[in-house]
Amino acid sequence: MSPGLRDGLRKRVEKLRTLPSSPAVLKPLLELLRLDPEHLDLKKVVELVSYDKTIAAQCMRIANSPLYGRARATESIQAAIVALGIQRVEDILLTCCLHKFSSGGKWATDPEVYWRHSLGCAAVCRELAERIDFRDTEKAYLAGLLHDLGILVNSLAYTEEYKGVIARARERGVPLAEQEMSDLGFTHAESGSILGATWQLPQAVIEVIALHHDVERAPAGNPLVALVHIGDLLCRCRGLGYGYEEWRSVELVSDPAWEQLKKFAPRLESMDLARFTMDLDAFFPKVQQLVDAVFSPKTEHSTVEVSY
Amino acid sequence: MNATLAPTVVKEREEAVDPVYLRVRDLVYQTCGIYHSDEKLYLLVAACKRRMTGGGAKATNAREYLDLLRNLAYRDAETRALLNEITIGETCLFRSMPQVNALKNVILPELTAERAKIGLKKLKLWSAGCSTGEEPYTWAMFLLEQQATLLRGWTFEIQATDLNDRSVETAKAGVYGDYALRNTPEEYKRKYFTAEEGTKLKVKDEVKARITFQRLNLNDNSRMVFMKGMDLIFCCNVLIYFDMVSKKRVVQHFYSNLMPSGCFLLGRAESLYQVNDQFRLVHLPGTTVYRKPGPEAAKTGKP
Repeated sequence: MSPGLRDGLRKRVEKLRTLPSSPAVLKPLLELLRLDPEHLDLKKVVELVSYDKTIAAQCMRIANSPLYGRARATESIQAAIVALGIQRVEDILLTCCLHKFSSGGKWATDPEVYWRHSLGCAAVCRELAERIDFRDTEKAYLAGLLHDLGILVNSLAYTEEYKGVIARARERGVPLAEQEMSDLGFTHAESGSILGATWQLPQAVIEVIALHHDVERAPAGNPLVALVHIGDLLCRCRGLGYGYEEWRSVELVSDPAWEQLKKFAPRLESMDLARFTMDLDAFFPKVQQLVDAVFSPKTEHSTVEVSY
Repeated sequence: MNATLAPTVVKEREEAVDPVYLRVRDLVYQTCGIYHSDEKLYLLVAACKRRMTGGGAKATNAREYLDLLRNLAYRDAETRALLNEITIGETCLFRSMPQVNALKNVILPELTAERAKIGLKKLKLWSAGCSTGEEPYTWAMFLLEQQATLLRGWTFEIQATDLNDRSVETAKAGVYGDYALRNTPEEYKRKYFTAEEGTKLKVKDEVKARITFQRLNLNDNSRMVFMKGMDLIFCCNVLIYFDMVSKKRVVQHFYSNLMPSGCFLLGRAESLYQVNDQFRLVHLPGTTVYRKPGPEAAKTGKP
């Protein structure tokens, strides 16, 4: 990307920051996320969740969705947090924040498609991390959730142009990044990393956003880039992509990301990838239910009175 | 498996599944290579229940049924009977649209580009375990259609084999009823079939001419070595009946018989995990296939 283009992009991203829907709890939340788990304070989390009524209600709906494995409705924020564990609540809270942030602007793409892909990728990354004994499964979730932040940026900052980009990518059945590069001169990886830096996201997550389509440039010490790259590809091959089919074949074991990740998680070598792929199909309807929970306040749980 | 991914909830009915069926699932996967994800688990449960209620299996609940599958005296026969229940009704023309679309939009374009480099304009397919002919006819009609566009100027031939003489004879006749034709697009019916008695349709001779039907035992090593030069091999719900040793041997034959970059396609729920590690699992929209590494990979020795 040329320096001029980068400057223009940065200016547009900075303007996004002033959108009225930018959630107030995001900054304290991200600070909380950076603390050691033992320093996390339940009271503080409840406080953050309760700060914003809309977010609190949405949190309840998400906590009660099948993806989080809740068998019966949780009726208070405190109970939900205890049942789910603080780490999961942070995932949920972050999801809500992003949703709140993104719902203020005009969309170039169907926001539901974006959320299905982001939440799907987050969950697939966490599941993959668990199966291969990758140490930091929650980080994997967070990185999966945020990896396509740039699509949000492009969608809000370049609404009209971006509609055309998506339409052409769909027509040709090619990866979105490829079409972005030829039409805009930059990809969602670049615009996303600028917003990620503005939001002061953890460095490892910014690297995932910036390099998930360019794994070979990932720093050797950050296996999250490779992990999210693989999770992203799996989602896009199984109908949880950008809302259209990409007509190409993906050989994961020949992908540079596979070799990179294997160094950190040797169990990847012996993982049953065929079975994992089939399991994902069972799992995606649950992602859809979660997206429905985020998007339609008129679900069965919306009548639950939120008490703090 | 993680709790968020292992629900014991059956799709639609939201009815809890006896966790013993998860062990039946694993057993079936280990011995036959056919896997039921949580979403498809209800199909396995239904198949087991049909075995029990139909009086075929001496068991009244999941636990007893699992014991039966582990009992040396009954194991082989019951496993075979269960597999028959699982795969019942899977045979029809155009059985898997994701496979058809993947072939049309990805596999054929990639394969023809590769073959054109060495001046080859011919494709060879093999339907191994073709049963009553639904699969080879599907691909013959599909490829005939492609000759108007992607395969203009190309020729193709299809070998269709099955162990069962009667199946081969039925396949040669090429007469199908509504059930076998339920997925067949109307334009294909009009173009490639003639009317038979009732609502039955018969495959036209121009399609039949593209296929060689013959009886073949996949365990017959001396004949397997002659099925060379294949670009695509289809083997759907056949290997599940083989024990691990013969499965490995048969798949090794398939591997040797494929040209570099050739693809091996299995049934929807089948996997080659721990059967063969030379094939590469390839992800395509909505489906997966196994591919023999191409000349590039062979040259560098890199996966």
